[in-house]
Amino acid sequence: MKFVIALFSAPHAPSSRRALRFAQAALAGGHEIVRLFFYQDGVHSASSAVVSAQDELDLSAEWRTFVQEQHLDGVVCIAAALRRGVLNAEEAQRYGRTAANLTAPWELSGLGQLHEATQMADRLLCFGGP
Amino acid sequence: MATLHVLSHSPFSDSRLSSCLRLLGSGDGLLLSGDAVYALQRGTAQRQALDLMPANIGLFALEEDLCARAIDAPPRVQVVDYPGFVELSCRFGKVNSWL
Repeated sequence: MKFVIALFSAPHAPSSRRALRFAQAALAGGHEIVRLFFYQDGVHSASSAVVSAQDELDLSAEWRTFVQEQHLDGVVCIAAALRRGVLNAEEAQRYGRTAANLTAPWELSGLGQLHEATQMADRLLCFGGP
Repeated sequence: MATLHVLSHSPFSDSRLSSCLRLLGSGDGLLLSGDAVYALQRGTAQRQALDLMPANIGLFALEEDLCARAIDAPPRVQVVDYPGFVELSCRFGKVNSWL
């Protein structure tokens, strides 16, 4: 089964963790993840500037490792990211910002990527809220 | 097409659960995750509504969220882990998350 997973919530929301655990279980079960799409506050999970307390789960780091190790297509909505200060080097330069906090494996792109992935996948799973 | 509805908001803070229950059709499923598992708390109107749900609607709850809140699921509820969640999303034609 081909899945596309859309994440709408910030890394500190339990639903973000649920999305990651679902994604891990899907791959472990032999399924395919066509694309991960981070939208709205979900873009913060792709930021490399997030610092978690030592005794807490570092969800941004877990996502990064997961996407890298599984060679997944991790797309972050560009409009949602820019307005929340999540920028890659190219966008930081374009808008004259002093820092960039989005690096590989993440890619900034448009909402069309979610639509396209949904057409390619058998199931769209959205995670958001609490 | 049979739909799996996924709830994660507490049923005591908004009307998602009651709206969802109105929408559920024969063959659909309801998965309670996060604070939505509080709907299974004994002696509440929400629990009563779930108990009265017809048998042709699958009722599921995420194990870790039940454990975290010390809620015992009644026999009517099928408790699932993450592999079970994945299996459910394959079994139902589509998954509708109440964000």
